[in-house]
Amino acid sequence: MALLKKIINRHIVNVRIVPTVRLTSNDVKISSSDDAPVEIENPYTKERRQCILCKLNVTPDYKNYRLLSQFQSPYTGRIYGRHITGLCRQKQMQVEAEITKAQNCAYLPYYYKDKRFIKDPKLFDPENPIRPHRF
Amino acid sequence: MPAYELAIMLRAMPKNELKSSLRRISQAIFDRGGIIRNIENLGFRPTPYKTSAHGLVHREANYFIIKVDTASQAVADLKEEYSRDVDIIRQRVFKAPTDIQDSCTLEDELLPPAYRKDVQKMIDIGKTQVNRFTYKFKYNSGLDYYPFQR
Ligand SMILES: [Zn+2]
Repeated sequence: MALLKKIINRHIVNVRIVPTVRLTSNDVKISSSDDAPVEIENPYTKERRQCILCKLNVTPDYKNYRLLSQFQSPYTGRIYGRHITGLCRQKQMQVEAEITKAQNCAYLPYYYKDKRFIKDPKLFDPENPIRPHRF
Repeated sequence: MPAYELAIMLRAMPKNELKSSLRRISQAIFDRGGIIRNIENLGFRPTPYKTSAHGLVHREANYFIIKVDTASQAVADLKEEYSRDVDIIRQRVFKAPTDIQDSCTLEDELLPPAYRKDVQKMIDIGKTQVNRFTYKFKYNSGLDYYPFQR
């Protein structure tokens, strides 16, 4: 008898009776404050691209002709276009104006690139322009 | 008095002559009530192209930049005086650069054409440029056939 009582006791302890409540949409109150969508900035926006002169905060100057010569073609001395240099409109216009000034002051040659500056690091690749062009 | 930069090339000459010609150049500025802020020596080096001045061909030059505050009226005077100076091969006057910092517009320029502001403006202009002079036949004018050659 004692054994039976023990077994029944154990079983009853194991089986818990949970009162089930059926929830309906009428009587459930979900507070709107904690579940509402939060106004945040789009976390997937890409970083704003900047041209190399704006990124490094460099203002082209005709006295800094070594920098300007990097925007010249080593073969013809011509200024590379915006589709090759990847500069923004304003910086490209400044670079072109300053190169013209530097050439006029005889700091830079017109028809070639100074041989001392030929091995300067490349800021861009003329073979891979950012926009296709007809040359 | 606005700020100017005189970019000056002097002919190859010994140091004491260079000194006296620089003194002469700056004296001309002082005589017209100008102020010299700074004189930069960019060195003596071969020029990228030969230059002829005052009957001589120069392939090397002393480069100087003089930052000057002077009246605008005096600049033309100075240029005229320097053009007569035999030591000066070439002289240019520029306004001193001012720092204008605008944010980079590269991102907007790399957008597809239909999204660019300047292209949209061009399209709007194009819409107003309708050709009013070529006659377009109207089908509701009573003729039930097209009278012109297609
Ligand atoms: Zn930029």
